[in-house]
Amino acid sequence: MANDRLRALEEVENQVATILQCAGNIVLELSKDKHNASFLDRQLSQFTVSVNRVETELSSQIKYLTQVATGQPHEGSTYSARKDCQMALNRAEYARVKLGELGRTCEVMLDPQP
Amino acid sequence: MANQRALPQSKESLLQNYNKRLKDDIRSILDNLTEIIKTAKVEDETQVSRATQAEQDHYEMHVRAANIVRAGESLMKLVSDLKQFLILNDFPSVNEAISLQNQQLRSLQEECDKKLTSLRDEIAIDLYELEEEYYSSSYSQLDSTDLPLCEAYRRWDSWASPDGGDISGSAHGGVEDTDGPTSQETSPKHDLNGHGTTAAVDEP
Repeated sequence: MANDRLRALEEVENQVATILQCAGNIVLELSKDKHNASFLDRQLSQFTVSVNRVETELSSQIKYLTQVATGQPHEGSTYSARKDCQMALNRAEYARVKLGELGRTCEVMLDPQP
Repeated sequence: MANQRALPQSKESLLQNYNKRLKDDIRSILDNLTEIIKTAKVEDETQVSRATQAEQDHYEMHVRAANIVRAGESLMKLVSDLKQFLILNDFPSVNEAISLQNQQLRSLQEECDKKLTSLRDEIAIDLYELEEEYYSSSYSQLDSTDLPLCEAYRRWDSWASPDGGDISGSAHGGVEDTDGPTSQETSPKHDLNGHGTTAAVDEP
């Protein structure tokens, strides 16, 4: 859910870049002696669409934050689960080390050095 | 609007500021581009000379283009601020992310512990067999108070079996098994003193 909203905001950033790109293309085309009307129309329509998308999306995000924000800091944490998992991994690592030592001891006993 | 809670003044003013910035930047981009397009129109009659008018139009277009770029930059900053605000204050998504992370960590921990438990059980089986082999050989030096695992299991089995009678009887029977020549006859290989074969040879 959070990733969707963040991805939507990243898409808004791309749209802002598109807005500036279209504005620059329009001005560049107007600077020429002979204008390509179809190109101008395409750029202008894309510019308008991008502006509307940016405004709509940012307005909806601000409206959602107005409904959801509490002003209090979030006190949730994954510390306990992370610690338990870390301890389980330490147990597994310890078992692996001890089994490795046991294996080496058995190899030494079974195949003594001449 | 009916669902809107009473936010702290700082948060509410911050969100209002975001709205204002959005409206101003969009308005700035649209107005400046419109004015650039209007200025690009060639007019035959001008109040000043054509060169002066051209210079003025050139400068105005520069300024308006710079305004468009500034408004775009301000929109990017607004998006960045909204991302930050979302990460810090979007409690539903933060709760969901925390619960998902907790779930993943707990499942990893349970899997790890389950594998360690199965490993322990397998090693216990092998250890049982190894101890049985070792303590039945002549190389073991067993203290009478220290029972090997196989012997402890054997005694537990005899206590738990219904043929063994009461606990004292079966325990007594278990004790008898460990000392005296009876044990050597019934299980000649099982010796607790390490002298099984030698004792058997020495006896007449």
